[in-house]
Amino acid sequence: MLLHVRFLLSFLCLFFSQVILASSSDYHERLLLRPLPQNALLASFNFRSNESLSSFEQQNFRYLPRSVGQILQHAHTKELHLRFSFGRWDAESWGARPWNGAREGGTGVELWAWVEAETDGEANARWLTLTNALSGLFCASLNFIDSTKTIRPVEIFQPEGNHQDANLHLLHGALPHEVVCTENLTPFLKLLPCKGKAGISSLLDGHKLFDASWQTMSIDVRPVCPTDGGECIIEIEQTVDMVLDIDRSKRPRDNPIPRPVKIEDITCDTSKPYSSQDSCYPLDHVLEPSWSVAEIFGRPLKGACPLTAAEGDESETVCLNVPPERDVEVRTQGYHAQRMREGGFLRCYELPTGEDFDLFLAEQSLETTIPLPQSPLYATRSIVGHGQERGGVQAVITNPSDAAVDLAYLESLPWFMKPYLHTLKATITPTSDNSSYTHPIKETYYRPAVDRRRGTHLELLLTIPPASTLTLSYDFDKAILRYTEYPPDANRGFDVAPAVIRLLSSSGEESPKGVYVRTTSLLLPLPTPDFSMPYNVIILTSTVMALGFGSIFNILVRRFVGADEVEKRGLAGLKGVLQGKIGRWRARFGGKGAKEL
Amino acid sequence: MEADQEPPGAVGAVNIKKAPPPETSESIWTRRLVILSFWTVVLLFGLPVWYKTTTVYRAALPLQAMNDWADGKICRPVFPLRIAIDAPSLPHQDAQHLLRTTQHALDDLNEFSAHHLRLLLSEPSTPSNASQKMTMDLDSSNSVSKGHLHDEDIALTVRMLPGSYTPTLDVYYTPNQIPSSSSTSSPLATFVAYELQRVFAEEQAQLAHLLSSSATSQTGQVKSLSKDDAVRLARQTTRSFKYAPTYHLTFSLFTPVAVPSAWEIRSALEEYISPLLESLSPISNFTVDTQVQLYAKFSHSFHEPEYDTSLKAWTLQKEELSAFVNAAEWPLSPSIGVGPTINFVLYVPAENQSPLVVKETGGSSWLIPQWGGVQILNSGTLKSTLSREDLQPAMLTFSHQLMSLLGVPHAPVSLPMRLSTLTRVRAASLLFSASSTLGSLARLTQALQSIAIPDTVAQAVDTTIEHLYRACNELREGRFATALESARIAEAEAEKAFFERSMVGQVYFPDEHKVAVYLPLLGPIAVPLVMTAIKELKSTYKRWRAA
Repeated sequence: MLLHVRFLLSFLCLFFSQVILASSSDYHERLLLRPLPQNALLASFNFRSNESLSSFEQQNFRYLPRSVGQILQHAHTKELHLRFSFGRWDAESWGARPWNGAREGGTGVELWAWVEAETDGEANARWLTLTNALSGLFCASLNFIDSTKTIRPVEIFQPEGNHQDANLHLLHGALPHEVVCTENLTPFLKLLPCKGKAGISSLLDGHKLFDASWQTMSIDVRPVCPTDGGECIIEIEQTVDMVLDIDRSKRPRDNPIPRPVKIEDITCDTSKPYSSQDSCYPLDHVLEPSWSVAEIFGRPLKGACPLTAAEGDESETVCLNVPPERDVEVRTQGYHAQRMREGGFLRCYELPTGEDFDLFLAEQSLETTIPLPQSPLYATRSIVGHGQERGGVQAVITNPSDAAVDLAYLESLPWFMKPYLHTLKATITPTSDNSSYTHPIKETYYRPAVDRRRGTHLELLLTIPPASTLTLSYDFDKAILRYTEYPPDANRGFDVAPAVIRLLSSSGEESPKGVYVRTTSLLLPLPTPDFSMPYNVIILTSTVMALGFGSIFNILVRRFVGADEVEKRGLAGLKGVLQGKIGRWRARFGGKGAKEL
Repeated sequence: MEADQEPPGAVGAVNIKKAPPPETSESIWTRRLVILSFWTVVLLFGLPVWYKTTTVYRAALPLQAMNDWADGKICRPVFPLRIAIDAPSLPHQDAQHLLRTTQHALDDLNEFSAHHLRLLLSEPSTPSNASQKMTMDLDSSNSVSKGHLHDEDIALTVRMLPGSYTPTLDVYYTPNQIPSSSSTSSPLATFVAYELQRVFAEEQAQLAHLLSSSATSQTGQVKSLSKDDAVRLARQTTRSFKYAPTYHLTFSLFTPVAVPSAWEIRSALEEYISPLLESLSPISNFTVDTQVQLYAKFSHSFHEPEYDTSLKAWTLQKEELSAFVNAAEWPLSPSIGVGPTINFVLYVPAENQSPLVVKETGGSSWLIPQWGGVQILNSGTLKSTLSREDLQPAMLTFSHQLMSLLGVPHAPVSLPMRLSTLTRVRAASLLFSASSTLGSLARLTQALQSIAIPDTVAQAVDTTIEHLYRACNELREGRFATALESARIAEAEAEKAFFERSMVGQVYFPDEHKVAVYLPLLGPIAVPLVMTAIKELKSTYKRWRAA
């Protein structure tokens, strides 16, 4: 059994990368469903299409979407990675990330690309074209990735494709503030050959996707040249990974408010001393919850996409990762095939064409659980300190494995967050006697910020000893922005892009995509001014100036005489004038009154 | 009464009334100078500085010239076409005479003075820069008949001429048809004039339509068009694209199901579309891209096709055709880059809805004005790949639709002549459109006094006017290709000036707002200044009365 589990662990780690390597037809899609602890369900969609390089250059698009192809050609982009994400992957209970984090982005939108250009200036101009065009295509604010949000990473990203060209520039930008929503999913689905009308993409629905606990959408375009010297292809890979809460997803759409469970349905812990007729200590779920694909996604699968291979491994487009003893009921009218793989822990289904397909799993108590691969790293990052003037950042990276790991760590900070590099400290706990671990920072790449022109780019090469925790910390100053630079919701704070961590494997076994971990994004409160300030300043300054002018002018113009020399009229002034008027009015009124009397 | 109210201490002061010492004239003059200098500084320096620093910048525009262009007062476009007559077999004298009589006949026929056909005798000295040159080979029938004598069996002689194509009109005649030197008209001259007029009739109609539809008031020149012609030309102009130096052509295969998922588009384009694009290349450049889109469903508001038992076909309502293309879901976004995109949609209906035709006409293709063309391909059984032969009818329809969309005239038959007509029509239309844009800009800046006019707008306007002049002169001199180029630049610059982004930003910052913000400064300063000025003027007046 132990041997079995270990075999399975290694399989699950490799599952995602194997999907990539086996490729024969031009379009491929696969869905992996894996129940996770705490009633969660991981749904991992993968779509991949190929276009030959010659038809790409002649703009004869078949599987590669024309919109994306034209943008890439117009911006001279050779490799593109675009991510839309939200939520947090709970690595401690859910294990390793899908695709080892290689198809995942930080909260918000993240984009990096290899752009072909002669000079840096040209690369920046093309990058600008690229972000603007993608912004229109995906209805996202990608056009806000300007020079202050763009960095040129050194170590952290490696190209996945095969490039012959030497003049490639890697540019990276992130928008942590961007809210990912349905308007980003619709253009994403339009890029697929089957458009969400058939195949596994028919399950993708904005209501469920953006109701997930964690969600990431990715688009990766890269050139792939076969090793035997055949024609190069352009490969576009789209993935959607999400973790759904099974109870939450099963709620009907017309009545989504959660209701308390009926008292008859609650299992009480009768071992409690107070357990009686009217008091109950509810027990946790002991049974695996029941669910079906149609319930979770709100609709059944609408058959296979006819463009996928008709037979072989490629035709099995839905895989379910449950223990062998779990009962799975297939509900469909058409032909389908099921194959058990990896000792029964993985069931893959060949879908019927043109017929609905649904999987139903009843409530069941299980002896075995699916072993989840352990996350290679745990990373968190937070803002420490207080006050409006300065603060600090603390990143905690834990290496749970029994081998030392090398990693690259990237921070891209906005210009108004000004770190002090001399305060950068890295401490290892528990402290080790081994001298090679006393300085965990091996290399530092630092490009300081320039106000309003570019942000800070900090890249570190770190080593963490086995079963240890590395704490990185540094202090920073908060800049005061100009009046017009604040967003409308200035008091909410400013989002800071997540840190990106890439594992540099010491052993030879490394997939070309790499192993990534991202922290969550930070919310940085900045001092916000009173926004009526400019008017106040104008009015106050004007008043002071008028006051000064008035006194000087009066001193120059007035004639100064002794107090007893003032003319009578002058002393009485306004009072005299008013009294005279009142007297006259009174006399007239009084006279009239006397006459009448 | 007043004395009663005053405090007891003041009684003495009132009683011992003490007048201030009389002011010296020196101090009076000092005060006047002080007031005057304050007023001077405020009026000559303060107000101008405040006004200058708070007004929006408005660059000077040649408004008069812009309005004149828009009203068509400056340029009256004329299209003098030079037609060379090549009559090597005729003696010079006779040829000259024939030319004169033909020209007479032509002038009599032509009622559209802006479009003028001028005949000249083809000689070695004929200026080679004559842009429009139509050679008339006036071969005497002798040579032809001679040829016939020798090769009686030949049904048709095909002349293969090397080099670039020049439009040629061959006229054959018998020697007795040559007008005698005394006659003022002859059947031959009339015939030639009539033929020429016929060749250029379509072009004249198009230009006349353009002149009459533009805002310019050139009633004197405009040839009146028959109602049918006017309607036809109006339809032609509304459906054709605006002129652009680059067009993007997008060929898309749409199908509501998953087949066909591939087409041999590369070879089909090479075979049917590329030759046409090559011949159009002197006027515009073209980029071509293609795509395949499966599962393309109609929009919800579109009425699904109905089965017509008499036609044995699925039919679409004619008025529904405009909603046929599902703009919201079908990825037909414009191509990236400068220039408009022309879309050609090849729609392959599902097998259970095939054949699909338009109900009223039974046709399967239609043109969407200023957007592109649609062709439904009813090929019976569905194959996963459409071959080049399957695509042939669709590609021929598309090439025909492309010509209409580009505004290429229907007559004459010769494609190069139609293209040169297109050059002239395009140049004229761009000239008018740039002029009217200038007029709109002039009206806009006059109507909205508070908007900023940056220098770039003034520069763009200057460039526009310069190129308009150039285009107008080049039209007059008959250099139509360069006229088109100048008109294109003028149009682009005029659009740039009109759509300058920084012009609209300040519209919502009115003058009242400005005064309100600065009132705390202006008010407290103005009150003492005005009051002292009034007081001083009063006392001066009093003193003057007293004196």
